[in-house]
Amino acid sequence: MTLTEPIDVSPIEPPAASGRSRRRSWLVVGVLVVAVGALLAQGLLSNLNYFETVDQAFGHRSTLGTHDFRLEGLVTKGTIVRTIRGADFTMQGSHHRSVLVIEIGQPPQLFQSDIPVVVDGHFTSSTSATFVAHQIIVKHTSNYVEQHPRRVKAPNGSTR
Amino acid sequence: MKTLFQRALGPFALVTLAATVWLGLWITPPDQRQGELVRLLYIHPALAWVALYVSFGVVVVASALYLWPRTRSMTLDRVVEAGLEVSVIFIGLTLVTGSIWGRPTWGVWWAWDARLTSTAVMGVLELGCIALRRANDDPQTRARRSAVLVLVSAVNVPIIHFSVQWWNTLHQGASVLTPTGKLNVHGSQLWTLLLSFFAFTLVYGWLLRSRYRLESDRSSRHDRQLQRAIAERQSEGSRA
Repeated sequence: MTLTEPIDVSPIEPPAASGRSRRRSWLVVGVLVVAVGALLAQGLLSNLNYFETVDQAFGHRSTLGTHDFRLEGLVTKGTIVRTIRGADFTMQGSHHRSVLVIEIGQPPQLFQSDIPVVVDGHFTSSTSATFVAHQIIVKHTSNYVEQHPRRVKAPNGSTR
Repeated sequence: MKTLFQRALGPFALVTLAATVWLGLWITPPDQRQGELVRLLYIHPALAWVALYVSFGVVVVASALYLWPRTRSMTLDRVVEAGLEVSVIFIGLTLVTGSIWGRPTWGVWWAWDARLTSTAVMGVLELGCIALRRANDDPQTRARRSAVLVLVSAVNVPIIHFSVQWWNTLHQGASVLTPTGKLNVHGSQLWTLLLSFFAFTLVYGWLLRSRYRLESDRSSRHDRQLQRAIAERQSEGSRA
């Protein structure tokens, strides 16, 4: 067979997305929805708030009962007592309400007085202000202060 | 031909990164609360800044411009391709360094609070965008679909940013981009932190440019191979 005219190789419009390509796209979107849904279900759907503050906990004390939840407050100065099983301390909210925390477990290395912490556990009764915790998490603030400001600039103006 | 800026970007990024490491590890003092652990302040926030705002921001802008008919071009799609891969690296590093910082400070490697969970969701969404690109062979379809998914994913960025204000989270609030505009970082810690933001932004720019060039070369090679194949078919036709 001989060709009398050259082959037409001019650009043509690309075909619409193939069925295979469309199926693969839907598969990716499906997997993505499942993965994101799993993360949200694990992290947020039960409760968008990671903890209740001491004030919030006292606000709906009756519904909390002796159920496990996370409680946040400031460790009151001078109240930490290290024990064999962990540590006992008082935790306060912003309205001077306080909770006695009995912690069973090893506190993290930054645990100290006058810092916000989150404790995971439950009140001992529906009217009690004693909270039994099986975990302490230190909730550090967004403030950063140098330990030795003079190390950078001394009173005589010299720098390190 | 390379401009001076293009030639200097990589070395300049490395120099600023080295300066950040030097200041962060040896010059700045420990923190009153966190002690030596504060040194992660010069890595983690900068990585998060690049991952969530700079790199994904570039991808979102490029995707939006691609979807706009008047600005549509495959150059923008190549920016999306390169930007997504670099962004995933920074998201991954943000999560890893956050976890490394969280263990000694909080006492846990991970917490399912709103900030951490939404950041993990961001990483999964970006991986999904990359997977969607791989699932489509046609360049135009690939570009359009990934651009749409990128814009849908962008809804998560303000959720991540404001999560620490909207809900009770274990993750602390902002230290630099605070709602009141007040900086919560002290003295030399502050300017070392700001330098780290600059250094990691430069590193990102360098990585993006390198990945973009790779994608551009791959695309050019593909076009050349196509032209060669057409020429061969034409010559076969003429010979016949």
